[in-house]
Amino acid sequence: MTEEDEAAFDEFLAARTTALLRTAILVCGASASDAEDMVQSALEKVYRHWPRIRHDNPEAYARRVVVNGAISRARRRRVLQEITFAQPPETSVESPDFGLRDVLIAELRRLPARMRAVLVLRYWEDMSEAETAALLGCSVGTVKSQAARGLARVRARMESLEGVSA
Amino acid sequence: MNVEEALRDAMAAQVADVQAPPMLGQAIRRRNRRHVVRFRLAGAALVTAAVAVGVPVALTAGPGTAPAGGVLTGTNAGGTPGASPIGADDTVAVPGIIVPDLIGKTAAEASPILKEAGYTVRVTEITTDEAPAGTVYGQMPQPGTTAPAGAAVTIVVAVAPIPSPGATAGDAPMPQDLGNLGDGRTLGGVHVGYLPEGLEWGKWSAKDGFGTRSYTTSWAKPGLEPGMYSVQMIVYRKQAAEDFAKRLKGFAAQGAKPIEVDGKKAYLMNVSEGGDRVIDGGTRTIAWTLAPGVGVEVMMSPDYVSEIGDAAADRELKKIAAGVALDK
Repeated sequence: MTEEDEAAFDEFLAARTTALLRTAILVCGASASDAEDMVQSALEKVYRHWPRIRHDNPEAYARRVVVNGAISRARRRRVLQEITFAQPPETSVESPDFGLRDVLIAELRRLPARMRAVLVLRYWEDMSEAETAALLGCSVGTVKSQAARGLARVRARMESLEGVSA
Repeated sequence: MNVEEALRDAMAAQVADVQAPPMLGQAIRRRNRRHVVRFRLAGAALVTAAVAVGVPVALTAGPGTAPAGGVLTGTNAGGTPGASPIGADDTVAVPGIIVPDLIGKTAAEASPILKEAGYTVRVTEITTDEAPAGTVYGQMPQPGTTAPAGAAVTIVVAVAPIPSPGATAGDAPMPQDLGNLGDGRTLGGVHVGYLPEGLEWGKWSAKDGFGTRSYTTSWAKPGLEPGMYSVQMIVYRKQAAEDFAKRLKGFAAQGAKPIEVDGKKAYLMNVSEGGDRVIDGGTRTIAWTLAPGVGVEVMMSPDYVSEIGDAAADRELKKIAAGVALDK
């Protein structure tokens, strides 16, 4: 690793770490400190291969490591989250002034890890279906169906909330 | 507002305040050094062995011609081993050759580079997903260090791990690391004496997914898709048990109150997906040390909890915990 490599790596960190950390928090649905740890270990991998990847879209590489790390971490924890599509709204536990944003984030957290990753990549990172599929190593069809299911759940949540406040 | 916009807006608000921690660069380099150091120790032993073999060759090649400072002479880089001995005129102070950086190259690319530099190539494999399969994950000695010609350079080539628990429900087989467990109640030297009624073994098991020596399996209500669980248990031993003990301390530090299960101190709380935070809305989990060097964690799926109710869930978790014993 030359000095120039090191300097370029520092620049990369300064420019990209916050974005990676935000993505990690959203994808793993966990606390900032859980996410920080994950981003750090992902960036260590980037650092290890830096001379090779620095000219070849290191950000995409880092994002892939972060997202896949977040998914496997979530999955290790709950083997697979049970998916219940006809989930009744739990209006009783939520006060009426519970903000829409909080409700949506809570619902996002409840999704299975990969479905959540699809929504984050598509709507937070603004990635295309094809880019999302490439990053997650799955087919475009899977991205489509996961996004549709995830959105349907979030939408159901939104509507139930609007129904309550109306 | 449509749902996509609402979600985008909610996600933006959620992480608006998040900033990268300072000093991250140092932390990463420190971690990387820790990684490298382990390699380096092994590498040092290896180089020593290679040099011990190499010295007599160098001496016969040019007895009495070794320059002051004890620097080895040897065949030039690229020289054919076994070629005519180097004459006195050719003697140059070659303080070993700088080992090239092979990390990230494919094994097929790396071997000729090493041979051309005058090294012997040794290949070992490591199962990891941290580098693309077939590429060099590590090397001994480290790139940039010097090693005499003829020394063995070991390249560690990444081999893809066997895929871990299913990608989505139903489209990947579940791992069967421990084989057929029968009723699924004995694993990792621990027997589960009590399970809530109506659950059956999830017909999968995984080893070392939660650290080295850990064992896990699950029980589910009949009819759930493969990979779904109602109750999951992890048994920690060896290094994994030590890490687990630290997590238990972490739970206490976060204010979790211990309860007593069968005379032992246990923690019953909601845990984050990372497994180290006590949070609202996490997975209901009971965790305790069963015996010295044996940790156990049992969690209940959020759906199963909402089905039987919070109070019943806690009751069942305590009963499961009380029924867990070392397998005789």
